[in-house]
Amino acid sequence: MSFLSLEGLSKRFGTHTAVDGLTLSVEKGEFVSLLGPSGCGKTTTLQMIAGFVEPSGGAIRLEGRDLLAVKPAKRGLGIVFQSYALFPHMTVVENVAFGLEMQGVAAAERTRRVGETLELVGLGAFTGRYPRQMSGGQQQRVALARALVIRPQILLLDEPLSNLDAKLREEMQIELRQIQRTVGTTTILVTHDQAEAMALSDRVVVMNHGRAEQIGPPHEAYERPATPFVANFLGRTNLVNGTTVRPEKIWFATSGLAGKVRTRIFQGNHWLYQVETAGGLVTVIRQNTGEAMPGEGEAVHLAWAAT
Amino acid sequence: MSKNGPVALVYHTLFVIFMLAPILVVCFVAFTPEGYLSFPTDRWSLRWFYAIGRYPEFISAFWRSLWLGALSSAIAVAFSVPAALAIGRHRFRGRDAMTALFMSPLMIPHVVLGIAFLRFFTELGLGGTFVGLVLAHIVVVLPFALRLTLASAVGLDRSIEHAAISLGASDRTVLRRITLPLVLPGLISGSALAFINSFDEVTMTVFIAAPGTETLPVRMFLYIQDNIDPLVTSVSAVVIAVTVLALIALDRAYGLERLLVGRSADGR
Repeated sequence: MSFLSLEGLSKRFGTHTAVDGLTLSVEKGEFVSLLGPSGCGKTTTLQMIAGFVEPSGGAIRLEGRDLLAVKPAKRGLGIVFQSYALFPHMTVVENVAFGLEMQGVAAAERTRRVGETLELVGLGAFTGRYPRQMSGGQQQRVALARALVIRPQILLLDEPLSNLDAKLREEMQIELRQIQRTVGTTTILVTHDQAEAMALSDRVVVMNHGRAEQIGPPHEAYERPATPFVANFLGRTNLVNGTTVRPEKIWFATSGLAGKVRTRIFQGNHWLYQVETAGGLVTVIRQNTGEAMPGEGEAVHLAWAAT
Repeated sequence: MSKNGPVALVYHTLFVIFMLAPILVVCFVAFTPEGYLSFPTDRWSLRWFYAIGRYPEFISAFWRSLWLGALSSAIAVAFSVPAALAIGRHRFRGRDAMTALFMSPLMIPHVVLGIAFLRFFTELGLGGTFVGLVLAHIVVVLPFALRLTLASAVGLDRSIEHAAISLGASDRTVLRRITLPLVLPGLISGSALAFINSFDEVTMTVFIAAPGTETLPVRMFLYIQDNIDPLVTSVSAVVIAVTVLALIALDRAYGLERLLVGRSADGR
């Protein structure tokens, strides 16, 4: 029996169907991402698990128990919101201690666990500050600590990194992954960023129009996309002679599909090519190994391994 | 910040003079030794300040105005908090009608309100009573209290409350520990504005106050109908001085910008 299971979960707002019969099993300790464009129903799904949105149909079970019968305040889930949703009138320590206070944890134990959790997220020195005195990344860590300190059965992350700049986002991804491994909490991440989902998750659920298009490990979904939507959403694709080929799987050869380089863009660790061929425009990504590469206007031949 | 051009500077200077001149003139005239309103004056005296002591009805009217303002603004804010939370965060039938009803006292001329309340209170046996004054002032200051409380409630991020719920807080705890502290700045601004409006109200109050329940503005209004001496200017000067001191104290304690603009503690 799986740890958390969504069974035919649906949500309709008037005539609009936000989530359409979603079925998903999550194992204990697993990191699963709900991935999709905005409006695909991923956030609504998260809110139904959290209890802020009531499903129109289907069931949610946690260790076999009906979760929908439990009030949101009693579900014992840790949630990190996109806006962080820190309590602006409380210090870092007060924010993190709030959940323990609600559980009636004694003051001494509270102090110890808050300190431990703040150390875990690397904020041991910021205890007395107010959220407004901290950077976005630091607020993010407070939000994570506040959710983790109650030792939630499930950690729900709603676009937690989307308000951070690119470099910080990458650092936080690595850190989030390490923290999740350390505490071992079952985690569900909602994101529209396919790189983030692939970097963090054990499995991704690619969603579109309220349905799961594919559920599987990131590598599998990338290499063997079940639908054209999944292929396009998880990265660039070329449709050449009826087969889909990833741009980085195509190389320049002495024979093969003939074409002419239209544009060549240098991106540091790789080159990005647009090649005009009889079958249309083909995108090619070649790793920068320091070797000389074909220039713009040059005639080339493209080859790729048959799948 | 861009610098003002010379034309704008002249305009602003004239505007400030236009705003402040009547207040300054009143303060100057208050120091005259003459028995009539004289300005300019080259002799100074505290005669009309001492004279206030001979009119205990002015002093009792001042205290009555303070109490009236405090009570009516406190009750108006107590009403406006649940109303603002409902209107600001939920969509329900009759929501617009409710907002319009609470805001309607702004639309009705105070003269009309005064006459209406005079009739109404006489029927109820509340004519000329302090209770009647409080009730009437609650109606008049409610829009001001509600407007600012509503602004705070609308700006509230629902996910902050959701976060508290997910951490195990009951509805009552969320209200007490999260929601109310977050709308507090609007609540304080609303109270201040409501108090000022109550303290200032004369058009309506003059109809419903009786001898013994006159507020300070009503007492002054009635006094200058029968007298032309500078007593009202010295009373005004005292009120201005009290106001300035109160504003300085508020600015030190809380920040005037936050108070009047209704910004929250974290600067959002």
